[in-house]
Amino acid sequence: MRILACMMALVIPVFSVAAQNVDLGTDEQREAGRVVYEAKCAHCHGSDGVPRPTVASVFRPAPRNFTTGTFKFRTTASGELPTDEDIRNSIRNGMPYTAMPPWPSLSNADVTNLMYHIKTFSSDFSGPFGEVTALEMPSPPSMTDESIARGREVYETNQCSDCHGNRGLGDGPSAPTLEDRWGYPIRAADMTKRWTFRGGGTREDIYQTFTTGLDGSPMPSFEISPTEDQWALVDYVYSLSRDEPNYATMVTAHATTRTMDLSQESFADIEPAYFPVVGQIIEPGRAFFPGVNGVDVRAVYNDEHISIMLQWHDMAAETSGSNAPDLIAPGALDADSDSTLVFSDAVAIQFPTVLSAGTEMPYFIFGDRKLSTDIWFADLAGSGARHYVGKGASNMSEEGPELDVSASFQEGEWTVIFRRARNEEAHIAFEEGTFVPIAFSIWDGFSRERGNKRGLTSWAYLYMDVAVKESPVLPMMAYGFATLLLGLVVTFVTRKKVHGARASSDDKRGEEA
Amino acid sequence: MNIVVLLAIAAGLIALRFLKPNSLAWSSATWVAVYVFLRYGVVPPVPASVLTMFMFIITLSLAVYLTTTEDRLKEVSNAFVSFFTDKKYTIPLVVALIGLPFIVAFRVYQNLTQLPDPPVVGRTIHPPPPATITFKGRQVDLVDEDNPYRELETSDPTAFAEHVSNGRLVYYQNCVKCHGDNMVGDGLFARGFNPIPANFQDPTTIAMLQESYLFWRIAKGAPGLPVESTPWSSAMPAWETFLSEEDIWDVILFMYDFTDQRPRAKEVHE
Repeated sequence: MRILACMMALVIPVFSVAAQNVDLGTDEQREAGRVVYEAKCAHCHGSDGVPRPTVASVFRPAPRNFTTGTFKFRTTASGELPTDEDIRNSIRNGMPYTAMPPWPSLSNADVTNLMYHIKTFSSDFSGPFGEVTALEMPSPPSMTDESIARGREVYETNQCSDCHGNRGLGDGPSAPTLEDRWGYPIRAADMTKRWTFRGGGTREDIYQTFTTGLDGSPMPSFEISPTEDQWALVDYVYSLSRDEPNYATMVTAHATTRTMDLSQESFADIEPAYFPVVGQIIEPGRAFFPGVNGVDVRAVYNDEHISIMLQWHDMAAETSGSNAPDLIAPGALDADSDSTLVFSDAVAIQFPTVLSAGTEMPYFIFGDRKLSTDIWFADLAGSGARHYVGKGASNMSEEGPELDVSASFQEGEWTVIFRRARNEEAHIAFEEGTFVPIAFSIWDGFSRERGNKRGLTSWAYLYMDVAVKESPVLPMMAYGFATLLLGLVVTFVTRKKVHGARASSDDKRGEEA
Repeated sequence: MNIVVLLAIAAGLIALRFLKPNSLAWSSATWVAVYVFLRYGVVPPVPASVLTMFMFIITLSLAVYLTTTEDRLKEVSNAFVSFFTDKKYTIPLVVALIGLPFIVAFRVYQNLTQLPDPPVVGRTIHPPPPATITFKGRQVDLVDEDNPYRELETSDPTAFAEHVSNGRLVYYQNCVKCHGDNMVGDGLFARGFNPIPANFQDPTTIAMLQESYLFWRIAKGAPGLPVESTPWSSAMPAWETFLSEEDIWDVILFMYDFTDQRPRAKEVHE
């Protein structure tokens, strides 16, 4: 009897653990999950777990196909199914900078039910592969300069740069060839933009991503020993990026007395303003997944010229073929469907042609009939800068003042510098102390962007900083002394009054006595 | 709302109550508590201008509270007087007299050296719609015409469901990039635009508008806005280029269906 009890005690926990590992939920839970899935998920992932082609065609990365049992974000070994908690986390946290949003509005029960429903799409979950165990994550040592330096060595030995590039901009030699297992093109992560990491940007997230791999994508899992080296690699990757994108709404043009020679030296010691670039999805020829997601901008000016430098990450420079803002984009009527045509990378800065007296501005997509925009355009195939005047996306003419441009591509980054004389007749003047509306467009030739198919920003401001600034010392002293004086006067008056009152009441008391 | 901050404030105020503070100390604590709550306790964060406005009102009402009865007024003025005259406050008084000018000078320094803010352009969110618009050559009467498929909701629920389902497809092919999966205006491209995309879950958007108003906004987009609504900066496309009339009415049905809201009823014209 006692032996039996002992055996029971041994057996029961083992069974309950196993049962938990292949927990498929109850019928009610799966049904409740199905209802939520149909309402929230099925538009992209499909009612049968296969992404709808109509929707998958406008999303990159494409929505996950659940029938294959392949999941990117897991705490389990490469090729294994995720744990229940992994699926729940993917739903709760979403995947930054993809069409998969986080779902904070769903209750814990909803998320759990959804997880059970998602597990019905692949028979693997109910079979022997359904039993999974999460890999243990060793506790992270603290991040130091040494660990970052060691991480760089680990980065090189494991050939991370093949895809992610020498500086981590996602520009390695293999980057342009990458595809996921469904044949869709996929990009290597830009490690200098941690906020875009699909699996999260904390050190723990990065550790999990490279030790378990992203199944279905070309990112394999890496087994690196000793453990210190694993964390060193994490620390190196972590050190390449700032915490937040810090999106700007204004860029400052700094005054200088130097001559402007279209070199990067003119912009030394100037912090860039980082603008988000999103797809142009308004005019026909829409870009649903633009090749570029942000641009760094710096500006300087002297008496004669204004110079603006743009920098953005691109996995490869497309310098053959040609590009223009008025080419007909794919998807638009009578677009050129010739797939042998090659399109080069290109960039444009946009200003209103003239500042209107009121608040009115031209439409941010290359102007409108009433108010036009100046477009400083550079085809990076090397044909120099062109000046367009835009009165709408389909009404552009090549005219306007002379522009100079220099462009260079280095290790996954384009640097383009425009220069124009500050005062040109009938075109926008860059006067000291004024705000000038400014917008940007970037064409990624690799993504076959041209004309309306491109990445863009909405209107931001260029502030022409004043050249000679008044010293703040005098006003500081004036206000400081005035405050001191006020304080002394109040103290003095209060004390005097109170002492006077006390003295007189003392007198009274004296008289009464 | 951030519960942790709220609890911390409540705990602080309760702890202070045990110290039996005078009216001035209690009012100051209230002021600080309200500020901390508005600044750190509300999600999403309260805009700075609104915060300033709220704090102005709070300051004013506390001043009124402190001066309504003679006793309280006396308590307050005595507290000030003793700070300026009592020997035990000499050191704090000297510190305040010297410290304040430095704080003022520092603020002046900040104000003079920071870059000016870009001009703020006022913007009418829901401008009055025109009486009629031309949609692909057809005159649409925005005053009297209504969603032609709305009546199916009661007369033919199956057909209605088909229209909603088509609207869903239209939404996920066209709108989701900016207005997002939850229709709260947080889609993938939302970060790139200013003004940000509309939040349809917000009760002050589609719930207080008629369906014909939505038809106008969807069909004509930013370029169809009047000047007071800054048509040059809004990224709302004119969907008449891409969508049929039926698609637009369908996506409107889907928007109300998904957000569980009802359109504002048409006024009855005599």
